Amino acid sequence: MRKVLHLYLSMTLISLAGLPPIAFADVSDIFSNVVSDFDRTMATFNPVGEYFREPLERALPDLSVQGRIKQWTDILINPDKQLGYGGKGLQDYRFAQLQNLLELKTSYAIFPGLDFKAVTHAMYDGAYDWQQSKGLYANRINETAERYNTTDRIMRELYVSYRTAKYDVIVGKQQVIWGKMDGQFIDIINGMDRREGPQLETEDYELRRLPAWMINTTLHFGDSSLQLLDIISHEQDQQSLPGSPWYSPLYTPSAPGGDVTLPWRRPHTGNLDNQEFAMRFDRAAGAMTYGFIYAYLWDKNPVDRIIGTEGQGAATRLLFQPQVNRLNHFGVTADYSTTLPDVPLVGAVPTVFRLEALYTLGVRFTDSNLQAAARAGDAGTDGTVRHDTFRAAIAAEFGLPGNTTFIMQPSLYYTFGWNPALSYGFGGGIENQWTLIPVFYLSHPFAFTRDRLTVNYTLYPVFGGPEITWQGVKSKLRISYKISQFLTTDLVYNSYGGGPDSGLYGQYKKWDNVGWEINYAF
Amino acid sequence: MRSNVMPFSKKAATYAVVSLMLWATSLPLATAEELTWRTVEQMSPADRALYDPNPTKPRDPNIPYIPAAPYPFKAPYTAEEMGYRSAEFPHVPRWPNTLVDAFGMITSSGYINQGVVIVYSAPTITNTTSEAVCEKRCSFWTRIRQRNLGLSASAKRMRTPFEGALREIKPGEIQDRWMQYSTFPPESQDEQQLWIMHRTSPKMANKMDFFVYSAGLRRVRRQPQPRRDQRFPDNAQTFDDVVGRDPWEMEWKLLGTDVLYQTVRFPNTRPEIVLNDNNKGFVKRETSTLKMMGDQYPYYRPDGGVDCWVVMGTIRKEVLPNYNEKFLVLWLDKHSFFPIRTEKYGQNNKLMMIEVRNVRLENPGLKGFGYAAHNTVYWDLEHDIMSYSFHDTHVAHEWTEEQKNMIFTPEFMRREWNFQPLKTQVLLKDPAQAFLRPFLDRGKFPDVRQIELSPQVEARYAAQERAGHLIFETGKPVEAPKPATAIP
Repeated sequence: MRKVLHLYLSMTLISLAGLPPIAFADVSDIFSNVVSDFDRTMATFNPVGEYFREPLERALPDLSVQGRIKQWTDILINPDKQLGYGGKGLQDYRFAQLQNLLELKTSYAIFPGLDFKAVTHAMYDGAYDWQQSKGLYANRINETAERYNTTDRIMRELYVSYRTAKYDVIVGKQQVIWGKMDGQFIDIINGMDRREGPQLETEDYELRRLPAWMINTTLHFGDSSLQLLDIISHEQDQQSLPGSPWYSPLYTPSAPGGDVTLPWRRPHTGNLDNQEFAMRFDRAAGAMTYGFIYAYLWDKNPVDRIIGTEGQGAATRLLFQPQVNRLNHFGVTADYSTTLPDVPLVGAVPTVFRLEALYTLGVRFTDSNLQAAARAGDAGTDGTVRHDTFRAAIAAEFGLPGNTTFIMQPSLYYTFGWNPALSYGFGGGIENQWTLIPVFYLSHPFAFTRDRLTVNYTLYPVFGGPEITWQGVKSKLRISYKISQFLTTDLVYNSYGGGPDSGLYGQYKKWDNVGWEINYAF
Repeated sequence: MRSNVMPFSKKAATYAVVSLMLWATSLPLATAEELTWRTVEQMSPADRALYDPNPTKPRDPNIPYIPAAPYPFKAPYTAEEMGYRSAEFPHVPRWPNTLVDAFGMITSSGYINQGVVIVYSAPTITNTTSEAVCEKRCSFWTRIRQRNLGLSASAKRMRTPFEGALREIKPGEIQDRWMQYSTFPPESQDEQQLWIMHRTSPKMANKMDFFVYSAGLRRVRRQPQPRRDQRFPDNAQTFDDVVGRDPWEMEWKLLGTDVLYQTVRFPNTRPEIVLNDNNKGFVKRETSTLKMMGDQYPYYRPDGGVDCWVVMGTIRKEVLPNYNEKFLVLWLDKHSFFPIRTEKYGQNNKLMMIEVRNVRLENPGLKGFGYAAHNTVYWDLEHDIMSYSFHDTHVAHEWTEEQKNMIFTPEFMRREWNFQPLKTQVLLKDPAQAFLRPFLDRGKFPDVRQIELSPQVEARYAAQERAGHLIFETGKPVEAPKPATAIP
């Protein structure tokens, strides 16, 4: 296994070592010969497209095939042997992920307007195999942490769509994306595989979202549309598992003889009472686009409710039943475009403002005071309480000279009626009544590489109140290089720091990592 | 009796014949080099009769930044009127149509990045008569004004969407809608863009509402309008090169006349191409038979040349402050005013980019206004990037109200509905098939045209001229370029 790992690392480093001369091709003529030969070879390098996709589509003209192979790797820079889990956690691994994904999208036109579509995934994460670690054992709890081995994960999407000028109907397993900000605000329909923890970002949502069976109907009236969803099967979030690379170090396992948490019960599929419903109205009116949403959904994460106690006095143990609860969501989205004239130094600046906001009624929180009351013998409480929450973001995107893009996006999370005894609940402040994350994003392609090299930088500082005012900062530097029209590479550096060890990003101070992504689309 | 004249030896005779043949074959080039272009002062009397040097013709009383004379104007034309006529022909036709655009860029190293989009275009005002439009859209006073301008309802005549946009659409209102559906490369498949173009004015610069659908993220996002004078990433052309500049944004001047013999140049590595014949089927064509103005153009000179006006448009700084380009030089077909060659010059007066077009009559019902770019090549001289765009199929057609309401909205993109799939086979199969850099045409109008290439670019240009196809960076020493005058 070590030999395989060594070979893998060597190959990767060799390929990465090739990047700088490619990126700075014009700087030195020395490399121009190599670069030119490489570029011309890679220009048409598309073996899967040439030998699989094209012959298949020629043989079946109504079939469309598309796919990609994606490899992404994160290496922790400074792992700590003993970390978290009440001092029992082991961060004895370097690779936070060594994921390899094959995605195949097939679409068959049954007749004009009626299509059948399937998206399949095959995923393998070598982080559990290709290094020796006692700290990584999530694959023994759930094998999907290492590889997709269930029909549910492999057959990712499967639906039939029928389209007319006036309406669309899509029936089957699918994902519906409502948000368009950095982060999730009104993107509430599908659950999410959150195995990457704090490193789950907007560009990963497409791959990490958990599709659900639903009937998706959209009615179109000129510049307006009304979407109606009947979600038949509930898909909850899947958080990072114990023994997985991004499992929170703040977690402390319960001591023997402590409280007991039962397995959670998923709402039974097929029961009409358990189905979820949502609707969305959108309208485009010139420079302004806006929309409203309402959704009656299950919470994506269960809340521990007390269903009984054992023992007496200080030895009282609580018996928890995790349950998901019904939530009513009301949301709004809008964007507006304009050109700011005569801005000093940069002239006219094309600009877009975006807004997304979500108000959620009756989010259930666990309340440590109520749990204490239950432990003291109060049988009238289940240890939870309901509060409304609000989350919103306003983004301003500026088109600067040199194809530079700058985005500012203040994001707010707020819990009404908050008190320090509350845990986290959907949409609310994180360990606080309010949390503010002003996201900054800068992207610039370099003309000397013919725009093949692009650098992106994103900064996520987290402020809150009234308890923990500074919760740390995450920053991400991404260097992307386009090898060909089929092959792209990224070099990524993520760092976490600042704030207390219990802060949102502060807890991941030892998780700084460098990684790469290689994406081949065919 | 034997002649005193020394008889030709066989060798000498052969030499003479070969020389004569070489001279004959080089004649068109020599003609193009030495005799084709004329300054205004040197123009023929016939051309002089078609040109009105008066720069101060009456202005429209209601829209003072446009000429008062009824579009499409009558000869003799001022330089400004020629500029207005040329604005009829941006990259995508102004009349309603569907086209498949195979495009790409290539660098000097041989890196190519290509794409295919299907473009659905729906102007607000379509080709119809002024009377019909006025009955539907125009106010009483507009009708009176049009009557005063010679556009009376009784005088039915065809007018183009551009003409309609000039006078009937208010600044800020929607002038055109383009929906673009990407089918290649795989990474961009099903990505879409909606461009909702606005009528601008000297005081209203916002040109477009811009929406992008990312298939990877399955999101429609409103994006800032691209900066008008900025090269698209990975391309040689700017936003304005694609959507066109409004004629009131420039001061117009006639430089003279010229005859062009070639615009887009295929390499000798691509002798044939398979074209989609307006969606009626694929046909193989020899690339040498593709003409600048298409097969139906009736005004080719006997030697194959196209007579052009050469006009200069200088960017008006009060309208476009801080604009990257200082002026443009355009070669306009004398009959349709179609710009078949455009050059852009920077603030330092030096040539930045050349755009050349092969053109076809794609909408015969519109006669001279029905020409459209079939094949365009852009060359950014500073970065030595070339882009191309091949409108392989143009299908001119009207949209029903239902189709307009359905397709040209941001929400439509989420449906991933390739409404009218068109196919193309013109993508480059290999970097070696890429188009040649356009002719520099050094020597023409030297008072205005300053051309300076870096030694590396100069060498690559010279190498392609010798080889008949692109010569990429090889790392090997490149021969010194020939004197500039030897390069057309």
